[in-house]
Amino acid sequence: MAHRYDAVVIGGGHNGLTAAAYLARAGRTVLVLERRHVLGGAAVTEEVFPGFRFSEFSYVVSLLRPEIIRELNLPSHGLEILPLDGTITPLDDDHLWRVNDHGKTIRELRRWSKSDAEAYEEYGQLMVDMARFIKPILSVVPPDPGTMNPFDWTPLVPLAKSFRNLSPRLQSTFVQLMTMSATDFLRQWFETDPLIATMSASGIIGTYQGIQSPGTAYVLLHHYMGEIDGAFRAWGVPKGGTGGISEAIGSAARALGAEIRMEAPVARIDVRNGRATGVTLESGEEIEADVVLSSLDSNWTFVKLMDPVHLDDDFLREVKRYKYRGSSGKVNLALDGLPELACKPGKGEWLRGAISFSPGVDYMERAYDEAKYGMFSSRPYVDMIIPTLVDPSMAPPGKHIVSCFVQYAPYHLADGRVWDDQMRERFGETVIDTLEERFPKIRDHILHKQFLTPLDIEEMTGLTEGNIFQGELSLEQLFFNRPVPGWARYRTPIKDLWICGSAAHPGGGIMGAPGRLAALEVLKGSSRRAVA
Amino acid sequence: MMAQTRYDAIMIGGGHNGLVAAGYLAKAGRRVLVLERRDRVGGVLDTVELAPGVRAPGVAHTVGRLRASVVRDLGLTRHGFTPIEPAIRVFAPQPDGSALTLWADPVRTAQELRSRSTHDADAYPGFDRRVRSVASFLAYLNAATPPDVKHLTFADLLTGLRAGRAFRDLGKKAARETTRVLPMAVADLVAESFETDAVRGAIASRAVLYAAMGPWSAGTAFVLLSDSAGNDGGAAGQSTFARGGPGALAEALAEAARSFGAEIRTGAEVAQVLTEDHRAVGVALGSGEELRATAVISNADPKRTLTKLVDPVVLGPHLVWRAKNIRTPGVVSKVNLALSELPVFAGADDPDRLKGRILIAPSVDYVERAFDASKYGRISEEPFLEVTIPSLSDPSLAPEGTHVASVIVQWTPHALRDGDWKAEGKRVGDLVIDTLERYAPGFSKLVTATQVLTPVDLEAEYGLPQGHPLHAEPGLDQFFAWRPLLGHARYRFGIEGLYLCGSGAHPGGGVTGAPGANAVREILADLKKS
Repeated sequence: MAHRYDAVVIGGGHNGLTAAAYLARAGRTVLVLERRHVLGGAAVTEEVFPGFRFSEFSYVVSLLRPEIIRELNLPSHGLEILPLDGTITPLDDDHLWRVNDHGKTIRELRRWSKSDAEAYEEYGQLMVDMARFIKPILSVVPPDPGTMNPFDWTPLVPLAKSFRNLSPRLQSTFVQLMTMSATDFLRQWFETDPLIATMSASGIIGTYQGIQSPGTAYVLLHHYMGEIDGAFRAWGVPKGGTGGISEAIGSAARALGAEIRMEAPVARIDVRNGRATGVTLESGEEIEADVVLSSLDSNWTFVKLMDPVHLDDDFLREVKRYKYRGSSGKVNLALDGLPELACKPGKGEWLRGAISFSPGVDYMERAYDEAKYGMFSSRPYVDMIIPTLVDPSMAPPGKHIVSCFVQYAPYHLADGRVWDDQMRERFGETVIDTLEERFPKIRDHILHKQFLTPLDIEEMTGLTEGNIFQGELSLEQLFFNRPVPGWARYRTPIKDLWICGSAAHPGGGIMGAPGRLAALEVLKGSSRRAVA
Repeated sequence: MMAQTRYDAIMIGGGHNGLVAAGYLAKAGRRVLVLERRDRVGGVLDTVELAPGVRAPGVAHTVGRLRASVVRDLGLTRHGFTPIEPAIRVFAPQPDGSALTLWADPVRTAQELRSRSTHDADAYPGFDRRVRSVASFLAYLNAATPPDVKHLTFADLLTGLRAGRAFRDLGKKAARETTRVLPMAVADLVAESFETDAVRGAIASRAVLYAAMGPWSAGTAFVLLSDSAGNDGGAAGQSTFARGGPGALAEALAEAARSFGAEIRTGAEVAQVLTEDHRAVGVALGSGEELRATAVISNADPKRTLTKLVDPVVLGPHLVWRAKNIRTPGVVSKVNLALSELPVFAGADDPDRLKGRILIAPSVDYVERAFDASKYGRISEEPFLEVTIPSLSDPSLAPEGTHVASVIVQWTPHALRDGDWKAEGKRVGDLVIDTLERYAPGFSKLVTATQVLTPVDLEAEYGLPQGHPLHAEPGLDQFFAWRPLLGHARYRFGIEGLYLCGSGAHPGGGVTGAPGANAVREILADLKKS
């Protein structure tokens, strides 16, 4: 029997759940509808092989907003972040190993370059100061650049003020971060090739850009956000995998009174005279609600789940023009033992952090160049972690799991190639070959392999073109252009339909900010449309 | 007590922007001295003797971006500047033997496109309009002095309002469009409108000319639109020549400046900017001669100005560090060829089709691959070329029946990974000839003389940093309020009394005269105070 809700949320990803929790917290009746049998969207933990549980897609966390952890009291719902200490970059017969212990890292850098070691301190402090300034932007509702209503710009006034009060040095650093390539930016301080390549790598995660592409510097900041939050170090893995975060937020939402229904795929967003009135499930069941929040990307929300007659052509054109271009794949391995690095044998703590396959700028750039012309990298950038070293519960005793984030694996392959089973196999084996160059015996340890192409990611999580951020984080798709120019305020041309996923500002990553900000906007009660 | 005359302003370098600024200052009744290191003024606006009776553009070969108000205010036509504006803007031969022509008239272009793709033919006029509307907004910005982010003044607010109004005049949709488009990669911009490689390549390549960026680099859309700002370039871009070669425009600028009373000295290299208690008070020449002025204006590039000409102690370590980090990746070589007769390009039914810019840029991927090589310090075997044959519209440049071709070659990185430029120079010349041979069979047999200017030569001959013709990379990180450096983008540069008026300042490189004209506005304001 059709039951009426104050709000129905499409999609049980971390943002959908966060939005639901905040609405429930404000006393609204909320229903979350999740297509799959597991909660979390791209932040899920699944037992892919008997006894081996994987953070199947998204695998580390650093950006989860502390206010969400606090306001939803997530620790009491089982959220526990286990720190990943440091990053090691294996090389032919050497390595570069940076850890959270600053002194140790400086000593390591001194092996490579005295000036880099000195610059590292200065750079770190500069970025922390910078992150302190940037943070507020993450919780500002972007204005519509088309509007000349000064009221819409007021959220930016404090930002403009605080920018003017920054030291000239921070001002120019901010401008550079917003416009430069990660590599050009870092070269102002550093000369060590593996250091520049490894630090730059964070700038291209999930993008269809190279580390020397303008606009990739900004992401370098994210690594320092965690630092200033003080809640935990820059990077960590949730206990029980990234699904642990989704479970915790889901449990918080339930505790606050939200309903969550699994395996309840939405077929259509119901619209009557320009107003969203609810959703219809694939089962045919109709669910009415005062407001509908979609945590899906714009392609799903406006193209797949809505009758085009409800939208004007300009808007639809913008939606269809929006770039996704997934560029990354995932390789998950189950091992019967711990592999050892050729360049640094043993089973020490250097294996407990990130293992970054980014030996140099040229290596990274070549990986990108191959993808640019429509083929996966023959020697990709791989961000590898061994979660079982910090969370043994993920595998049977003595056994291990390995998570490899792989770039580049372009969604669109050129020259008639397609992502079929053979291509997936070639891709996966290429990644293992890449690992084998640094972990010579790793193949002997492999019990099971899971290869995930951008197409697999799209089919399993629904992320269009397998883009992990629900839309490429390119400069022209940020802030007030996210997810559609002029519609960055979580509102949509359809009254009472709201966007609350990574597609919305401030974008992707396990951050929860879009879900929280959207819910707060909804609660303001205003469904004022940005006048189109 | 100074022996010799004291000037209101001394100009370091007689490039086109220096001459424009000197002209305006003299016209305003100021005592101006221009000091040029070379034996003639003009900088990259240069005409060189390639062979007896054959004259070629030294570096830049088109001048269509020159600001109309500069031509008017300085009376350049009166002083011998005669622009030649062919109806053809672009001729782009394709590997399949066909060719694409972009005309000054978008309608005519669309008509011809129809045989290639009705989709692109239909899209072209609309794309041309979009370029012009965004470019019209950029023209406002280019004419303005960037705001002072530290302390916004009333004047800045007025500028902001003017820009704001220009922004609003675009209309809501266009305003949204502008904010979306400017940071884009030009490859994405053209792909949104056009389906054929030929059209995409021909239009996108203009956005990467002189730049160390490929069409897939973010921000290149801005370069394309900015190139069309303040001129009638539109989607095709301009292809205007100066009769007698670019040097003739330089001469006209010099004549205009002199007619207003400016002094110009050639063969006078400035070795140092003189300072007294952290203020620029004059310059010292290589000869040791010292000259005094209230305003010292640098037409040299910003990096050289701060790191070579000014005492680092006066600037302080942080500013010196920032100046050293101004990005000037030179990637351009210039090749001039004397031709015994007009080459025959496949797809050119009528020689007039060669009167504009001839582009070897058959697709976005072709151009991007040519750029890729430079990232690894190499030169692509399939370079991107912009060729002009100015003798077609100006027979005075070469003996009867013969011609001269001017070629801009990319990408040829100043920092070669292996091999050095002494050896590579000839290779670049051969590479250009071999490449053109593919599109104009028999081309190589027509070549009677070759001149190659590598990035290293451009640096030595014209003082361009790493041979970068734009003085500083036109990236999003070095434009408007942060060109060349945030806090030093208002033409007052580094220390009190020192000014920057060249391509390294807003609105950047190209033969526009805009940085020079903008700088004068600020310099005169300061001179009035002093």
